Amino acid sequence: MSPVKHAVIAAAGLGSRLGHGKPKCLVEIEGVTILAQLLSRLSDVEDVRVVVGFEEKAVMAELKRIRPDAIAVRNPNFRSTTTLHSYAAGAKFLEGDCLFLDGDLLLEPESFRRFIDSCRPNAPRLGITKAKTRDAVYVTIEDEKVTAFDRLGPAEFEWANVAWLPIEFFRNIEDTSVYQHLCRFLPLGSKELVSYEVDTEEDLLQARENAHLFGMNAGA
Amino acid sequence: MIQGNAVQSISRAFLEDDGFIAQGRSAFPVHATGTCYAFDLDGTVTREELLPLIAMELGLETEIALLTRLTMDGMIPFEDSFRLRFALLRTAGLERIQSIVAEVELDPFIAEFIRKNRDRCFVVTGNLDIWIAPLMEKLGCGYFASTAMLDEGRVIGLREVMRKSAPALQLKERFERVIAVGDGFNDIPMFDVADIGVAFQGIHTAPDALVSVSNYVALDGSSLCRLLSTL
Repeated sequence: MSPVKHAVIAAAGLGSRLGHGKPKCLVEIEGVTILAQLLSRLSDVEDVRVVVGFEEKAVMAELKRIRPDAIAVRNPNFRSTTTLHSYAAGAKFLEGDCLFLDGDLLLEPESFRRFIDSCRPNAPRLGITKAKTRDAVYVTIEDEKVTAFDRLGPAEFEWANVAWLPIEFFRNIEDTSVYQHLCRFLPLGSKELVSYEVDTEEDLLQARENAHLFGMNAGA
Repeated sequence: MIQGNAVQSISRAFLEDDGFIAQGRSAFPVHATGTCYAFDLDGTVTREELLPLIAMELGLETEIALLTRLTMDGMIPFEDSFRLRFALLRTAGLERIQSIVAEVELDPFIAEFIRKNRDRCFVVTGNLDIWIAPLMEKLGCGYFASTAMLDEGRVIGLREVMRKSAPALQLKERFERVIAVGDGFNDIPMFDVADIGVAFQGIHTAPDALVSVSNYVALDGSSLCRLLSTL
């Protein structure tokens, strides 16, 4: 049985770099929202928590439509906090390990399945993917472990914004981004995923061109 | 069906203990310890609103539906609305009302959670103590409710309409943490006092005002109880 019991999806942000005026998780690709696609990837995870903020009502309506057994965790300070705070809020009161994902990801089912299957208790690991997004957080890999993050690149891989981490990693957080916070825990295990993140219009275009990879109709 | 004598004794318990009824074992430790759960009743623990059910008995569905909607939307205060609805519904007769209420469908997950955590679960409801007494006996937890004035087992009026901040404060004195669960406007004062608020959208969409003071939103009974067991 999979050790992945809890998953937190951070979906509170404004998505201002994309600028569609709605939460990125509600952007549709081939008629399916990014959120529906993520939830279909997590169909075997019992406890799914979606951190909501910007346009929370719309996100919760989509959640209720697709997966009413998911919990909405509110981050009312979404405008002044980072994804790190959403992760911490989502995992608050939980124990053990949790899968953390950004709400703007497209995940290829097979490689994500392998990632989940490889998760073990107390063995933190980051999902990495071939570098492709504009504002990537690049990773240095040594011995299959992530040893450093940087924003400059170029590098072969970027962090996919997917992570399997002990919840205690988020007990004491400051006002930083997630990767800056995770620096103190490096090196961390890694596993490659086929994934796209939708931060900008170009990312979205790229994701749409590759929609066939993500089994978009599976989430409908 | 509750008997006249039992009704009297419950009523006395309310008069003596500020709206609270403990069932079974003695309710509270001396020092504030542990976590308790305060549940709204209508549309949270029960899968239907109780007052519209009683209204059906009297053919007053439309009138009560209007009042319920205005109350849910925050257009009229809960207290005024409850007084009006009470005035309309009391003619159904106590025994009939009690049996309608006692037969209402409960959310099976929430009912089970309450049964398993009887000593630290409480129902906090604007509904009338005497109307819900048999239902509460079935649920088996302590509860706070609006109170009726009785005369020889007959309901002759409303004594006090529940304001939910009061029981939440009482629970805070006795428990370290209060976790409130509800779906309506009149739950806002309870959420305000509670340490953690969970808006429940299993039956209705909770009003924005309630969501805005909540930490979590649960969309069905099973995930609500899963969440509660991790808090």
